[in-house]
Amino acid sequence: METLDIQLPQMALLYGLCLLPWLLLWLIGLRLSRDIGISILRMTIQLMLVGIYLKMLFDLNNPWLNGLWILVMLIVADLSILRRAGLKARYFALATFAAIAASILFSTTYLVILVIQPAHFYDARYIVPLAGMILGNCLQGNVIALERFYSALRKNENEYATFLMLGATRWEAVRPYFRDAVKAAINPTIAGMATMGLVSLPGMMTGQILGGSEPWLAVKYQIAIMICIFTSTTVACIINLKLSLNIGFDAFDVLRDEVVEKP
Amino acid sequence: MSPIIRFDRVSVTVHEKTILSDVSFALLPGEKAVLCGKSGSGKSSVLKTLLGLHPIKSGTVYFQQQPLTPASVQTVRSCTAYIGQEPMLAAESVREALLLPFQFKAHRDHRPTESRLIEVLQRLQLPVSILSRQSSRISGGEKQRIALARGLLLGKKLYLLDEVTSALDAESKQAVFDVFSDPELTVLSVTHDPEWVERCTIIFELEAGRLT
Repeated sequence: METLDIQLPQMALLYGLCLLPWLLLWLIGLRLSRDIGISILRMTIQLMLVGIYLKMLFDLNNPWLNGLWILVMLIVADLSILRRAGLKARYFALATFAAIAASILFSTTYLVILVIQPAHFYDARYIVPLAGMILGNCLQGNVIALERFYSALRKNENEYATFLMLGATRWEAVRPYFRDAVKAAINPTIAGMATMGLVSLPGMMTGQILGGSEPWLAVKYQIAIMICIFTSTTVACIINLKLSLNIGFDAFDVLRDEVVEKP
Repeated sequence: MSPIIRFDRVSVTVHEKTILSDVSFALLPGEKAVLCGKSGSGKSSVLKTLLGLHPIKSGTVYFQQQPLTPASVQTVRSCTAYIGQEPMLAAESVREALLLPFQFKAHRDHRPTESRLIEVLQRLQLPVSILSRQSSRISGGEKQRIALARGLLLGKKLYLLDEVTSALDAESKQAVFDVFSDPELTVLSVTHDPEWVERCTIIFELEAGRLT
């Protein structure tokens, strides 16, 4: 079953659809024309570049090039996590990179080598989109985990100090905030799995069905990707927070001011 | 007898502001000392520096003859009870607050018995029924005495008290005075309460981070 192509005039028609929300926003007094315009333009250019690059990756199907693409995605995700979590990359970049790289490489290779089993494990058609999807979700989780953890510590500075004064080690004193941060980070994935298919049809499954796959095959891939997202997000958040404990505190267990971006 | 605490020419800078400058003093076991001075003179900073909460720029703090280092700070904290004006109970109920430190590895094997719990509460004029009350629903004065009770349950010998009588009535204040009349307990306190100052054996005057 072939997927129907969208021709240029139809694409133009699609962009025209944006006029409706733009008009409604303008009518209620929200002047977001510039933001909307920039966002649509960026999305178009970025996806076109990705399209060109992916086409090249799929055609060449070179393991080193595929690896390089994943490395670039990891670096961009690393810096994006820290920027959005309000932490300085100078201090945390290596720890966050190690955490997401370890969890993404583990879950992606597990999925590709043990579950999907393509002829070549490095097959760009599998490894690049799967790693990208897992990483995208892992990124959200890590932003929540780091942001929650460090803002909770700053907000509850006295409580944290009280734990230390009562004889807690650094790990014992941060444990309540650590647990809360991990819970907040993985909750969306757990809730997403619980309502999957009921509230909305998942993106990857929809894409596969539109691409001509049998619904059953699409369902199996969706389950596989969700389990990998859940695993890698949990693993990455725990490793990331654990590694950050050696960076975010001084030798006397006091939270270092200089590691946090000034608001 | 060797001092339990010794500050040797200690200077502390926080956010590029000098808060303690060349501070030297010593305290022997059992002594009751008070730091006096205007607000912002650095009184509370002395207590926090001893607990490793402020970075030392120069000089050395000694606790039981050992210099304060990242390796020894855990010992200092385990042997010291710090009670501030608004102590954090850090637990849902008063009973949980009193037993909180016994969840930590350092005190896990010394969980107090029910009778010890009651004895300590009575010593501080606190009713036994307070054990089941919510931490968020007790007064400032009760919080201060519960924090003190937690220190006593841990068998601490050194007490760092920051305006600890500020929310107490006369009767509760007397109970606290009685507790600290124990010659085994060492006290380094910060207060504006003349009655408390009167009962202390050593008075340190601080002005702009310097001992006068």
